[in-house]
Amino acid sequence: MALEDVCSFKERPVQHKWFSFSSLGDAAIPFPKSDYYNLRLETSENNCGVPLHFFIPPLPHSSSFINRPLSSFCPPKNSMTVQRPFRLAHGTTTLGFIFQGGVIAAADTRASAGGLVACPAVHKITPIHSHLVVTSSGSGADCMLWERILIREIRLYQLRHGHRLSIRATAKLLSSMLHPFKGTEMCVALTLCGWDNGPKLIYVCSDGARLQGDVFSVGSGSPYAYGVLDRELRWSLSKGEAISLAREAVFRATHRDAYSGNNVDLFHITAQGWIHIALHHIMLAVKMCDLSLLCHYYVQ
Amino acid sequence: FIHILCVGFLAVSSEDPFLTSSSLPTCLPFASSQSVPLPFPMAHGTTTLAFMFQGGVMAAADTRSSCSGLVACPASQKILPIHSHLVGLTSGTSADCALWKRILARELRLYQLRHGRRLSTSGAAKLLSHMLHPFKGTELCVAATLCGWDGGETGPGSRGETTKNQMTELFYVCSDGTRLRGMLFSVGSGSPYAYSILDQGVHWGLSVDEAKSIAREAVYRATYRDAYSGNCVDMYHITSKGWTRRNREDLKEEYYREKERRKHEKTERRDVTFSD
Repeated sequence: MALEDVCSFKERPVQHKWFSFSSLGDAAIPFPKSDYYNLRLETSENNCGVPLHFFIPPLPHSSSFINRPLSSFCPPKNSMTVQRPFRLAHGTTTLGFIFQGGVIAAADTRASAGGLVACPAVHKITPIHSHLVVTSSGSGADCMLWERILIREIRLYQLRHGHRLSIRATAKLLSSMLHPFKGTEMCVALTLCGWDNGPKLIYVCSDGARLQGDVFSVGSGSPYAYGVLDRELRWSLSKGEAISLAREAVFRATHRDAYSGNNVDLFHITAQGWIHIALHHIMLAVKMCDLSLLCHYYVQ
Repeated sequence: FIHILCVGFLAVSSEDPFLTSSSLPTCLPFASSQSVPLPFPMAHGTTTLAFMFQGGVMAAADTRSSCSGLVACPASQKILPIHSHLVGLTSGTSADCALWKRILARELRLYQLRHGRRLSTSGAAKLLSHMLHPFKGTELCVAATLCGWDGGETGPGSRGETTKNQMTELFYVCSDGTRLRGMLFSVGSGSPYAYSILDQGVHWGLSVDEAKSIAREAVYRATYRDAYSGNCVDMYHITSKGWTRRNREDLKEEYYREKERRKHEKTERRDVTFSD
């Protein structure tokens, strides 16, 4: 994907893997290709002139929209809304905080859809590159897509410019990519946790928020996690204490929040890169800590 | 406001001679009339919590009354004593809560005068729940937590011998009909923040001082994060001797102490080089 772009491999738009509108049987209306995503980075001369071929679903305010057939992204103004099969629920608990030993990112692993646990073992923390990890909250499908897009863009930048984009710039890039979707039903709340000349923690939301801070928790279980984190978070925590604090915070949230649960995923990011905490380093010999076992441990 | 009062009384005590001769309408409020538009959107922001432990019941609440963005009163009282051994924590619309607390106090006193013994906390919760029932579906919003000690002065003997203190009772009553008995409740917009602290630290064997400090910490954490909770913390401790009230403490002091500590940490942090 990244490589074919760098080589200016011109694919026909209708065969593009994503957003193939030919499947909607409407190839007649020309689609404005170059407006939205002409992300020209600073050194545009090096940038082979390839704009991001990113076909955005037609937004309700665009004039070419009214004649389009019903699309599942954004329904036209004068036709009925597509019925959702179930109510989208953004239930999750993810958190990230900075301490003297780097950044800790933790999340539960439950994907819920209304009242159903759609998947009990979802990865909400995705590595972007060796020193950046992103925790996702909001709509699971949207988050997975945007993580892939972000990975692609960061890799492209690295190949074109020879150095990695800083995390603050990554957050800005992500925020500007999400901006055209403000006001639609897309819901993405990502926390970028990484290391570049120091630990960084930046929260980016599809509403447009982009905040840098020391501690963030996102999702329906976040108030529960905040209570625990605010109380015990110190700069001077040791690595083991930080990991157990993160686990405790996610555990408390899963205990009270119905939409969070199952297991805890933990990542630790330092100057050397990210490490997925395998729990045989801590206590239990399983990769993802099973919360029901943890409950027994804490009760004793 | 008058309509609510009269229907409430009629629903409760039909044998009261005073009210049968009243000429006030008997229909349910708001049943077919247009709702009065609210002057501002009501916000139910608060943090109240109560838990049972070996030393009785500890109840704590913040003191901020908010009105969609305005702090209407920074020193309101959310823990209202109903009688010497029963205390009610209120959440929801403060006007409704104050009214219903008075109605409940009146009914419990009437019961005590008529029957010679105090109504148990469980009975008081049931009474409140039934009194609020006609208003289900209206905009009345009362979420009360009743914390009490049942004395059993002239009650049946079976209540006398208890190993654990089964005399303390904690009930959550809500205007949508919920009535729950439990060991730990926290109500309000700041309740999630308080719940995680309470879940960490509350267990039966706490001492009174530990219980006080955990209740205070839970309210403090909720006021730290929730915009609608804040100002001071009130704490009541209910035991067999009745309720005792701790002096109202301004959480501003705690907030500034923590801020100093974090500032101190930040200066330490700047001195440390970012090595592994």
